[in-house]
Amino acid sequence: MTLAASMPLVEFHDVTVAYGRRPVLWHVDLAIDRPCLFGVIGPNGAGKSTLLKAALGLVPVVGGYTRFFGEPLARVRGRVGYVPQRETVDWDFPVSVHDVVLMGTYGRLGWFRRPGGRERDLAHACLERVGLADLAGRQIGRLSGGQQQRVFLARALAQEADIYLFDEPMAGVDVRSQERIFAVLAELRDAGRLVIVVHHDLRTAAEWFDRVALVDMRLVAAGPTAEVLTPENLDRTYAGRAELLEELGRAVAERGRTS
Amino acid sequence: MASDASLTVHAWAMATAAMVSASCGLVGGLLVVRRMSLLGDAIAHAVLPGIAVAVLAGGSLGGPAVFAGAVAAALATVWLTQAIHAGVGLAEDAGAGVVFTSLFALGVVIVTLAASRIDLDPECVLFGILELAAFDRVRVGGLLVPRAFVTAVVVFLGVAGGLAASWRWQVFTAFDPAAARAAGIPVGLVTSLLLAATAVAAVAGFEAVGAVLVVAMLVVPAATAELLVQRMHWLVVVAVGVAIAAACGGYALAWRWNTSAAGMIAVVLGGCYAVAVLMAPGDGILARAIARLRLEWRVAREDCLARIWRACEAEGRDAAHVGDPQTWLERMAGLWLERRGVVRRKNGCVTLSDHGRREAEMVVRSHRLWEAWLGRHAELPIDHLHPPAEWLEHHVGAAMRDQIEAELSAGQVDPHGRTIPPEAAG
Repeated sequence: MTLAASMPLVEFHDVTVAYGRRPVLWHVDLAIDRPCLFGVIGPNGAGKSTLLKAALGLVPVVGGYTRFFGEPLARVRGRVGYVPQRETVDWDFPVSVHDVVLMGTYGRLGWFRRPGGRERDLAHACLERVGLADLAGRQIGRLSGGQQQRVFLARALAQEADIYLFDEPMAGVDVRSQERIFAVLAELRDAGRLVIVVHHDLRTAAEWFDRVALVDMRLVAAGPTAEVLTPENLDRTYAGRAELLEELGRAVAERGRTS
Repeated sequence: MASDASLTVHAWAMATAAMVSASCGLVGGLLVVRRMSLLGDAIAHAVLPGIAVAVLAGGSLGGPAVFAGAVAAALATVWLTQAIHAGVGLAEDAGAGVVFTSLFALGVVIVTLAASRIDLDPECVLFGILELAAFDRVRVGGLLVPRAFVTAVVVFLGVAGGLAASWRWQVFTAFDPAAARAAGIPVGLVTSLLLAATAVAAVAGFEAVGAVLVVAMLVVPAATAELLVQRMHWLVVVAVGVAIAAACGGYALAWRWNTSAAGMIAVVLGGCYAVAVLMAPGDGILARAIARLRLEWRVAREDCLARIWRACEAEGRDAAHVGDPQTWLERMAGLWLERRGVVRRKNGCVTLSDHGRREAEMVVRSHRLWEAWLGRHAELPIDHLHPPAEWLEHHVGAAMRDQIEAELSAGQVDPHGRTIPPEAAG
């Protein structure tokens, strides 16, 4: 990547998101300027996943914008990989493990090009990296939760992106899979990729992430993990519960309904 | 005996039904895996006002204007349903229910009002005109072919072409719409294409079998295929196969019994689904019943062997007096084992062959290892140990036994103080 040193890889500028009329994320300013393992930490309902979805244009943004490599997403889509939460898809869907990983290549293949030998080899290599090569032909519903999450990880690898956004990749995952997933994420970081991970477990967050952002309906703090995860910041994130913001959000929603 | 002419008529009608059914089965595959069957139902009904208006405006049935009207009506249905969901907060299924019934009713009203002026009557809207399809013919390359058949073929090619061109994106979108969108796939366009294909297939089905039964064609073949296969491309292949087979079979039966072809096709489709539920490999009722019976039979055999082994252990010799079996299955198992020479009777006592003894030892070994493991690691009181071990002893393999033994580290004795038999050699 030959980017100017001043150009952030990802920049959230004054991002505000609302579901319906109710704002759930207020005025987030956040710039990440170097490859690292970046954790987005906060309580349930804090808007962590929403932050990722807003960056990807999956939820409408009320105000502000997000840039990747200084550009709007539409111009650099292929360089940004996204892994949604595992529960968001139907795992009884009639596809094999290999089929799902191959989907990672569909975005750049376009309408008519079929995945060829290169794509198949790549999918296989990605499955090997997450330790699932021997399950390639299996229907995805017949995997454990941890294996399913690793299939998603392999699909993201097959996209060969420069920035990865993971939504709760460790949720409902056994310890062995967690270690495997973390090892792959660390490999990505070491290969110069930026890896952003929404995560809810504070204990592991402190040891896994180079940098973190604490989020609770607004950005509480961001920076190197040791500097951010202070008792004071955690207190502001978890104990404060942003009650004022929540109430304000409800008020805005109510207003909209009666007017 | 049917005359040649009537045979030709029926053959054409059957071919038309098969073609229409194939189109519906094709789009149905994607609708069913996307959990959008209800939307398919809604579209199949809601296309009626589109058709009616197009016909009123001078379009002919099966002509491009009618298909355009139907697609417009289908997209309007989806758009209205989502608008009601977003605007008023009505659940999406209820919203679809409101929209498609209203639109269908509107269509019925238009058709009834204009019945004298247009070539479309309510009877044909509800039940189709498959039986009459063969009489309205057009000339294709020197051959007189029913217009409905030509339409059905064109529709099938169009639907198959549209879905084939977008196939990978269709599957990605169906499986994980959020990731597909993030990867730059035009999810909205891909979905609209599927909805348009549904509308087109529904119009063809509408003409052939009517508004009510076209739903069966959309949903049942794919639902049947979903039970039978686990890959998307096979699902579509099987769905189309079932659709064609049911259409031909249903039509032939209707002809034989002189009843409604549309009705018979739907009945045959329902029968196909029932057979799939019963016979599906792995998860089918029959497969599960067989698997359960085999398990129970193995458990009965193992229980029988273990009981004799324990009695021998208690009496300290190779043969022992053993009480009556507790279940009829175990009694059967005992007789079976005796006939095969695994269990032998001698002077009122029972004894085991070498092979039988080894098998019994492994069951007892599993049982006692698990009791020991539970006693040590789960710290359960001693009267809690027997029931789970009694159940688990039939499900633990050699590798698992070794692992349990390794975790026990100390002693070859179970919590009741009885010896745990060693693993069988080989």
